[in-house]
Amino acid sequence: MELSIDSLTKHYGSKIAVDCVSATLKPGVYGLLGENGAGKTTLMRMICSILKATSGEVLFDGRDVTDMGAGYRNILGYLPQDFGYYPDYTAMEFLRYMAALKGIPRKKAVTRSEELLAVTGLEHVGGKKIKTFSGGMKQRLGIAQALLNHPKVLILDEPTAGLDPKERVRFRNLLADYAGDRIVLLSTHIVSDIEAIADYVYIMKKGSFAAQGSVAELIAQAGGKVWELIVEPREVPAWERKATISNLRHEDGHVVLRIVSDVSPAPQATVCHAGLEDLYLYYFPVKEEN
Amino acid sequence: MFKELFLQEHKKLWKKKSARLSFFLCVLYIVVFGSFLNYQWFAFGSSGGDYSGFGNLFDGYENIRKMQEYAGQWEGKLTDETLQEMVRDYQRMLREAEAARGAGDTRREQQYAAEAQRADQRSINSWISTLYPELEDSSQTYPTLMVRYVEPDRLNGFYERRRQKVEEFLDIFGHTEEEKEYLLAMNDRVDEPYAYCWVEGWRMLLSNMVSDFGMVMAVFLVIALSTVFAGEWHNGTGRLLLTTKNGWREIACAKILSGIAYTLELFFAIAAGAVAGQLIYLGTEGWDQPIQYIKLIAVAPVNMLQAEIFEYAYLLLGAVGLALLVMFLSAVAKNNFIALVSGLAIVYLPMAMAGYMPMQVQKMFDLIPLVGSPTDIFRTNVFHLFGQIVWSPYLLVTVPVLLGCAFIPFTVKRWARRLKR
Repeated sequence: MELSIDSLTKHYGSKIAVDCVSATLKPGVYGLLGENGAGKTTLMRMICSILKATSGEVLFDGRDVTDMGAGYRNILGYLPQDFGYYPDYTAMEFLRYMAALKGIPRKKAVTRSEELLAVTGLEHVGGKKIKTFSGGMKQRLGIAQALLNHPKVLILDEPTAGLDPKERVRFRNLLADYAGDRIVLLSTHIVSDIEAIADYVYIMKKGSFAAQGSVAELIAQAGGKVWELIVEPREVPAWERKATISNLRHEDGHVVLRIVSDVSPAPQATVCHAGLEDLYLYYFPVKEEN
Repeated sequence: MFKELFLQEHKKLWKKKSARLSFFLCVLYIVVFGSFLNYQWFAFGSSGGDYSGFGNLFDGYENIRKMQEYAGQWEGKLTDETLQEMVRDYQRMLREAEAARGAGDTRREQQYAAEAQRADQRSINSWISTLYPELEDSSQTYPTLMVRYVEPDRLNGFYERRRQKVEEFLDIFGHTEEEKEYLLAMNDRVDEPYAYCWVEGWRMLLSNMVSDFGMVMAVFLVIALSTVFAGEWHNGTGRLLLTTKNGWREIACAKILSGIAYTLELFFAIAAGAVAGQLIYLGTEGWDQPIQYIKLIAVAPVNMLQAEIFEYAYLLLGAVGLALLVMFLSAVAKNNFIALVSGLAIVYLPMAMAGYMPMQVQKMFDLIPLVGSPTDIFRTNVFHLFGQIVWSPYLLVTVPVLLGCAFIPFTVKRWARRLKR
């Protein structure tokens, strides 16, 4: 099983949202990391075949997914970033409705819905209206609907948004159990989620992949680019202006800065062990956002 | 599987407050106000003086029975003699009431006035004013019914005059010779002489009620169905639905079918309620009478029941046509508000503009679902189709639904196509 993304491009007028992106996904969990507007959602929508690409194609086992039509959608599970719902539906009714859309027979739909409500920890609120749910509960319901049809390709756009730490751990475990021989692609801002779940990570910047590799490979790329520097508290604002600081902590009246930089920011700075978050900041420095 | 999809979609439509509220208000307005209260109070309650709402008492049921009983004495063929007798009797009752008033006998005055109310004065007056305009007394100081003062002996040649009036009307209306020939051939099939019975109930039902149902139903249908497709984008579920196996053509078809089912449910609830009201208050009397009793210069050889079936068929097919157009707009607009406003505009804009348009344009507007009127069955409008003359009711009952059906492929395509943004 293989999902190939071949030179996928999307233009909105003169703006390039996704710029000639290519990738080959085999069973496993893939993380898509990038800041807002990097093109993650656009890319995911094109992979789901709901958004028309300007050029390029998405192939599943060598077949164009737009030609596969319902056959492709039958093996697809999707959680959109802006997951909508019907306020007056109960969780169970919503899953039954989605099951009908996915072509799941009525009896199986009931069993599967109950099963997924249990898996996502919503079994006690299955009869309650969705409008009474918290953000995290709605997100879990969104994940449940994506899993209804046992999808071979699971696309999750910001699945952990709105989940509290406990719910995020539950989600990671669920995905770890589920992934197996399936292709799972998830996007998130939360680097630690990707670090914990993803086998392979794409860092997306301005519509294309700025970096890619396994978590270990990417962290290795950041090796020698993360520094620790001890400064006086009054010097912190100046450092914040001129460097990308991934962390700071107070220690014995001083401040220890964690700086992401290609070169040593100061003679007294020492190289330290890098993480995926450092790499993220390397590609998306804070000062650039300001 | 499609059945399950349809059932789920239908359930979803009914879960919407707008659909439930529209159904409830539409049925309440039409069945309770438009039918039951109309019979019992607004239209057929006896004149009750100043203390009663609408000037009528809440006694429609009893009053209708009395009117039917009074008309019963004239049952049989409607001839010049019967017409003269009816007018004489009505004028006698008025004179008696006047005399009682002069004598200061209020009780008898009220008794005769009440009896006069039971006469079929509106129908008779409309026949007289249509067929005997030369008998109108312009010296009357205030507009009054001709039936109150016309000399009964001068009411002669009812059927000859009617034929003459039909021909005059066709000339005035600007019909071509060919059209006149077509319409007069229809008129020739109207059975004469007519058999008289009380038809005031049928007049109200067929002249106003059913056509008003269409106008009211249109508002609520637009409110309920404008969200069928647009609502998915409003709720943010559109993209999610489009990624599912049945989320494209199948769901579009299920949505369209559920919209039609809703329309049928609304129609049958209204029709069942209105017909129940009709049967309770009016009974079945007069069902086989010609519609010429309602509009004397109508040329269609149909009876009251046939006209009622036509009017309900017009309402049903027009409602289905409108439902399909509204769902198309809903799929195109992707916005509840725009779909709602454009849906209402489809019906009410042509209605508002029609008065300022040439006749031909008005006739075209009438082919838009629920814009025209089923009362065309009493009229002589015609269309020319492939060189043939077609009486307007034939097109008014078929074109709106065909127009709606023609938009189905566009609705499906619009929903199922891949997004550009």
